[in-house]
Amino acid sequence: MLVFAASDKGGTGRSVTSANLAYQRALTGDHVAYVDFDFGSPTAAAVFDVPSAMRGTEERGLHSYLEGETAEPVRIDVWRETEHPLLRARPNQSGRLVLFPGDAGGGEFATGEEALERCVDLLLKLNGEFDVTFVDLSAGRSYAVDMVLDATAHPRMRNIPFRWLVFHRWTRQHVIAASGLVHGEHGIIGGGVERGHDEDALRAAIRFVRAAVPDPESPLWSQGSTAQATWMQACDEALRRLAAEQRIGDSVVLGIVPLEPILQWQEQLITEEDVLSTQIANKETLEALEEIARRLTDDTHWGRL
Amino acid sequence: MAPRQSTPPAVLACGEIRTCLLPARQALDIRSAAQLLGLRADERVLLSERPGLYARSPDTLTGVDCPLPSANGARVRAVGTVTAHAALTEGRVLQTSAYCRLPGAGPDQRRPWGEYLVRPGVVEPLGRLPYEAVAQGVLGGPCHGDLDVGLIADGLLTRVLRHPLLDQRPPFRSRPTRLRWAALPAAPGEGPSLERFTLAEDELRTVRLRVPEGTTGTELAALCDDLALHDWLLTTVVRMLDGLRLGASAAHDAGAVVRTLRPAVDHLLHLWMPGARVGRELAALWDPLEERPGFTRQWQALVQRIRDQLTLHAIPAAHREVEPAP
Amino acid sequence: MTEPVFRETAAEPRTQSVPLAHLSVELGHLYMEDFEAGPQRLRAHFAEVRPWVEAARAAATVRAGGKRPRISTCFLIDDYFTRFSTPAEVVPMLLAEAERAGLTVDYLARESGCAVTGKVPVAEAVAARIVESPPPGSYGLRPPAAQTGWLANGERSPVARAPQAMKRAVTWQPPHETAARRHSVFLDVELWSDDADGQRLWSCPFLAAVWQLARLGLLRNEGEAVLVPQPHSAAGFPDKWDELPTLLKLNERADPFAAYRTCSVLPTRFLPVEHAVRVILDQIEVDPGALAQVADRSGKERVPVPASVADRISYVYYAGL
Repeated sequence: MLVFAASDKGGTGRSVTSANLAYQRALTGDHVAYVDFDFGSPTAAAVFDVPSAMRGTEERGLHSYLEGETAEPVRIDVWRETEHPLLRARPNQSGRLVLFPGDAGGGEFATGEEALERCVDLLLKLNGEFDVTFVDLSAGRSYAVDMVLDATAHPRMRNIPFRWLVFHRWTRQHVIAASGLVHGEHGIIGGGVERGHDEDALRAAIRFVRAAVPDPESPLWSQGSTAQATWMQACDEALRRLAAEQRIGDSVVLGIVPLEPILQWQEQLITEEDVLSTQIANKETLEALEEIARRLTDDTHWGRL
Repeated sequence: MAPRQSTPPAVLACGEIRTCLLPARQALDIRSAAQLLGLRADERVLLSERPGLYARSPDTLTGVDCPLPSANGARVRAVGTVTAHAALTEGRVLQTSAYCRLPGAGPDQRRPWGEYLVRPGVVEPLGRLPYEAVAQGVLGGPCHGDLDVGLIADGLLTRVLRHPLLDQRPPFRSRPTRLRWAALPAAPGEGPSLERFTLAEDELRTVRLRVPEGTTGTELAALCDDLALHDWLLTTVVRMLDGLRLGASAAHDAGAVVRTLRPAVDHLLHLWMPGARVGRELAALWDPLEERPGFTRQWQALVQRIRDQLTLHAIPAAHREVEPAP
Repeated sequence: MTEPVFRETAAEPRTQSVPLAHLSVELGHLYMEDFEAGPQRLRAHFAEVRPWVEAARAAATVRAGGKRPRISTCFLIDDYFTRFSTPAEVVPMLLAEAERAGLTVDYLARESGCAVTGKVPVAEAVAARIVESPPPGSYGLRPPAAQTGWLANGERSPVARAPQAMKRAVTWQPPHETAARRHSVFLDVELWSDDADGQRLWSCPFLAAVWQLARLGLLRNEGEAVLVPQPHSAAGFPDKWDELPTLLKLNERADPFAAYRTCSVLPTRFLPVEHAVRVILDQIEVDPGALAQVADRSGKERVPVPASVADRISYVYYAGL
């Protein structure tokens, strides 16, 4: 299964959340690949805490691979190379977790026919090797989005299952932008259909993840005034209505990640340890991530709506 | 009038093999295999049905002109062609294999290209070849820009995998392996020997050989293809069993055990035939591996374990969980 | 080592051998414009060719150590790029003009036979045998500069490509001939072109390279010889080019068509084409079985051939008519 992580804007927590989903899937025993197609700012190494493994990847990362400068992109075994002390002890019965980083210092680039073929080669290879492959895409209608839309419409990829996760924050602007990215004129669906995707099938393979959503019920806000609470409730209501109008309402939401300081301030993987012993992360956040990770392959959450 | 050139004897042969599961739901029959591996319009795919289905593509050549990898930092430039072929075993396991032979010395300057093309699979050093250091360099892994026959095997694999005949639906998840080999001359009068077989990284194996003069690249490649094939089979089946949760938790999901192990029965267990396609003299190099660690011994243990598991899970769950009465 | 008891024929390669002369002399090519210029053009051509054929024969005799060398002559008619007239009209005129100059045409070939002969896609097969000469720095990564349908004798100028954001585009670099001595004579040869319907048209230099391989006895298809001469049994010549065998043996007593070496006598205007032919031949990996047969037999006859296939061909250019 290929999972494409997209967002219209930066700052949606797309990378950190999808990295956490990858981590959660690996914990359950799946072999997981995380592919960094965020060409403009390839930073996945930071989330997985593998900075030193990135040394020497200037010319062997995904940029170089797609441009034909190297035959095999660097792969980083996260359990083995992470500097995160908790991750280093690979949990028993966990699957492999492998990061495919971009070139250190690589930039956004226009992709051509040959890059597309190589992209298809790579995705097919990963699909044969991993249970789940997460592909983190540059924000907006980027070359990366175009390339994977082309790739998944390619005849060689006809039998490969894929799903899209579109991340957005819970604000007016973000809701409208996320809807535009998917339903807009040259959005994911429109662009996909232009490339030969079946509209219904593509629509059925797209779900939304609301990130950094403040929960009015959360103890975080319990100190606030009644007026504040009422205002928050009203906003939340209004946003729900807006989301429904924009065709990204609750029925196409795969999950909601609560506002979580450690995701906001330090993009990192959230472990059980962070919740149970050091308590720097909220239990709700971890549960939300676990649930979204589970739903990724639970067909009852996917399909036509 | 130019004198006819004879090929100087090779003092080093090296190669690399990629082995992977063919990404197709059904194993290919012999005709489809011939189609997949028909890399050249004018050359036949070699097909063989005994002792198992086996198809091998015509050789392809790739030109190289670059420094050779070496353990001691010597930068010897070499020019020539690397031979590569693809092979399919039982329509299921795909291998690409690239290799070349290197003579002990060559001219000081690059020759006209046509002179290299009449000696396919020979890469000739400019000057003298420090073959021990180069052999070590090859096995240690080339630096960026040094001759890398693995890239040629990889390029051919990519080409074959793009064939429209493949539906890209492998019957189970697996990982490709790489086997790098280097063969140095045996001491005069000595037969061939396998000096070392190393499981290097997750996916990399290295093999160091000594062979008598006159052993052809084709014979060596056949031996190493065979080693790579069987090593891949072992690796793949071991990983399959690794991913299995046995015991109490598995009891709840007997289906999962059967789902995981069944592909081994369907696709892999009948492929074990070490030495079947290797010349008699080189086939003897299997002996030390069979002695220790005992490739076939491990394989048989794995096969037995898979069969036991499947038998166990064929019993209805209620009976399976009953503790034996004292 | 003993021979194995069990054999499978489909598992063993084999290569058919062909009879070989010492030298194959090409008396000319005929294109539509030559034909349209009338018999005088052919007459003048053969008059120019005659002394050079004598010279080639003398040189071959020396090379054969004074023994009578086996020499065959051939002539190529273009029926690939343009179709003109009929064999019944052209061939007798051609033979008459050759005879008038004192020359015998042993073998007559149609150019389209170099593209496809019978069911064998000859040109396509030869194209699949191209192994590009690697510029220094080729270490095994797929050649990034390969241009489909073109073949060069060196490295092309880098193509300006949209760079990654915030990286600089490369400035112009000259092309470079790999075998250059200080200065380059860079040549980039078009091997074929595809029309709007996907029909492939092979280029003249590419077909000429195939023609040279045929004359050198180095063409094989699945191990079988290609462009095998057919005897001329009928009384006359057909009215359709397609009914004429692609390679016709006109002289019953002729030496074999294929030879260890070739010599072509051509007007100077063919020089660029034949330069291109050399560039192509220098980068074709011919059937190793055929190569070994030629090397073996020429060695036994003590007339060794140059290792490189491109060095087995030679030319005489005469000033244009």
